Amino acid sequence: MDLNYAPEDREFRATTRRWLETNVPKHDLKTLDERKAWHRKLYEAGYVGMLWPKEYGGWGTTPMRQAIVQDEMARVSAPPTINGLGIGFIGPTIIVHGTEAQKQRYLKKILTAEEIWCQLYSEPNAGSDLASLKTRAEDQGDHFVVNGQKIWTSSGPIADWGILLARTDSKVAKHRGISCVLLNMRQPGVEVRPLKQITGSSLFSEVFMTNARAEKSDLIGNVNQGWEIAQTTLGFERGGNSLGRVTRYTTAFNQLVKATKELKRGGRPLIEDGAVRARMGRIYADLEVQRYAALRVLSALQKGDAPGSASSITKLSYTEFEKRYYELALAILGPFGHLMVAREEFEEVDSSSGEPGTFATAFLWSRAGTIYSGSSEIQKNIIGERVLGLPKEVRADRLKA
Amino acid sequence: MDFSFSSDQLLLKNSARAFLDEHCKPTAVRLLWDDPRGESDTMWKEMAQLGWLGLSLPEVYGGSGLGMVESAILLEELGRAAYPGPYWPTVLAAAAIEAAGADAQKKRWLSAIATGDARATLALLDADLDWDPAAMTARAEKAPRGWALSGTKRFVPWAHVANVLLIPARALEGPTLFLVDPSAAGLKLSPVQGMDLSTRWVQIDMDKVPAAADAVLGTPGQAAPLLSSLVRRGAVGAAAEMLGASRRCLDMAVGYAKVREQFGQPIGSFQAIRHKCAEMLLEVENSHSAVYYAAWALDAKAEDGELAASVAKAYVGDAARKVCGEAIQVHGGIGFTWEYDLHIYFKRAKALEPMYGDADYHREQIVRRVAR
Repeated sequence: MDLNYAPEDREFRATTRRWLETNVPKHDLKTLDERKAWHRKLYEAGYVGMLWPKEYGGWGTTPMRQAIVQDEMARVSAPPTINGLGIGFIGPTIIVHGTEAQKQRYLKKILTAEEIWCQLYSEPNAGSDLASLKTRAEDQGDHFVVNGQKIWTSSGPIADWGILLARTDSKVAKHRGISCVLLNMRQPGVEVRPLKQITGSSLFSEVFMTNARAEKSDLIGNVNQGWEIAQTTLGFERGGNSLGRVTRYTTAFNQLVKATKELKRGGRPLIEDGAVRARMGRIYADLEVQRYAALRVLSALQKGDAPGSASSITKLSYTEFEKRYYELALAILGPFGHLMVAREEFEEVDSSSGEPGTFATAFLWSRAGTIYSGSSEIQKNIIGERVLGLPKEVRADRLKA
Repeated sequence: MDFSFSSDQLLLKNSARAFLDEHCKPTAVRLLWDDPRGESDTMWKEMAQLGWLGLSLPEVYGGSGLGMVESAILLEELGRAAYPGPYWPTVLAAAAIEAAGADAQKKRWLSAIATGDARATLALLDADLDWDPAAMTARAEKAPRGWALSGTKRFVPWAHVANVLLIPARALEGPTLFLVDPSAAGLKLSPVQGMDLSTRWVQIDMDKVPAAADAVLGTPGQAAPLLSSLVRRGAVGAAAEMLGASRRCLDMAVGYAKVREQFGQPIGSFQAIRHKCAEMLLEVENSHSAVYYAAWALDAKAEDGELAASVAKAYVGDAARKVCGEAIQVHGGIGFTWEYDLHIYFKRAKALEPMYGDADYHREQIVRRVAR
């Protein structure tokens, strides 16, 4: 056990910090073009696609270095990269399961954010029970004709491409009739409607596909292999960027400390109130443990261990933590915690989504984490069955299958 | 950066597990409940032979010179076995002697502790139950041939079997730590028994107990930093033991959920039970991260070492209470019976909750550090 950073990683951190100090945009990035330009700059500096193999345009460096970059970016509240799903899990899916032609066609443009990607998995009636999805892809020889509706699609309005799960065989058990195919979002048969969330912003959307066309050459793996592919790659989504995430929480905690010194109750600063102190201590202990856990995951990744089902523990841990965290922060701040516009007493904080705002924004966003990418209940099922080896539950759909 | 155990550390863990599985079975733990001493001298000697008592002492005193990470590994296993005996108080007292003692004091006690010939304990809690050394109420007054100690020490672990008591008292110069003979005149030991029958506590009442001039550990009046560091070290050790007890409770709950059938199914197939077990595992894994991060940070003298010790005790105290409590719930009625072994580990975790500062105390320490 040695939790010191290696000298070369410390050096790398110092270099990264200097680069960010010089290059982080001084003003908010307003347009998509500005965000793409910032992303491109990070990519060219070697800070995007760090784990991707060099042959596909990545940098082939270590999980530790990637974590250091994410951590340093969080430290200075740098604007986030874009195309997170593309880089974090769609690209890796293509790397693992795609054809050589697909790799050549798509990977580099994912990294550079020349093409933005979205995920077309969830449907109005297929959430946790994703395998019951209804969107159909009919085989027309050289292409599929796609009809159906997807929901909770991040980056929908700006996406050029989507990774789609659709039913290609309705006569077999539900898990065995699904295919995974890449879908061009820029076509008449695809309509994207923004979905306003409880935060007031619209980062998700609904996607309607009416006789949309997906090329056969864009099929990932074989026909009806889609569920298997989704199973192996959903884990990519869980547990990533945990160090940078914790640094953002710490930044928010410092804002909270500042607020409790400035806000008064009964004539005294909140920070002098024993009940407030107890809550602050609880939050901070919880937050530090998330940091230690992130280091533990990072150390395992660094040694080449695949997190597998254990990534469900990480995801469950930080998303549930985030809810407790912002609930306690709001309890401490009282009505001030409800304000949606930053004030003198507390500056903006980053929510987990990267959407800046007040504690109220972050509090609202914290409700999303335990639902997306497999709800907490689904994670507990995975942990129970695959980590603890508890018997599978008797489910109606398994009895039929 | 490596958060995993080295091969030597794994060896220590595995050999401790094997030894305790054989020599510290639940039946052995139960046998000592009615014993006035409450511990086994045979096992103590065997632990000494395994090198556990001198684990973190310098080699010159027969120790192995290892760190807090290794101590935590061992304590986790001891907690998992609900080992009854003065291991951690003795090791902690030895660390105090090693850190602050004069050569003669080290020679007198450290080798004897490493060989299993002496037991020691540390009286950190005074009458008003405050872990802050500044709040100490016991008094040390100058006497013709040294000092006279007066006052009350509460919940001192295993003092009835100790060969030497480390007793802090307030002198004119400030907090001072004394090596006291348990049979000294004016000193009264009264055992008190909590719900964990494998943890023994003793109240020490002192009325002008004589202590020689050379019984002072370190410089008179200068003991506060050492005492604070012992509370922190003690807290990390207690957290490691609670982690072990939690793991044992989790293992028993999962094992039971796989075989116990109701409604024609193993109860582990029901989400109500399975989700509970998943939450317990999450708490245990986070506790692992907290304990070993803190242990490493103390060894490495990292700048957040003191903070990490408080984080570990605050977090693991809450987590262990949840995990061990839910283990009873998963078991249902059988988990509430005296015959079933679960309560042995449930009570061990519980007994350590208030020791070396409870979660509230450590949360306040955390706030003092991060919200200055």
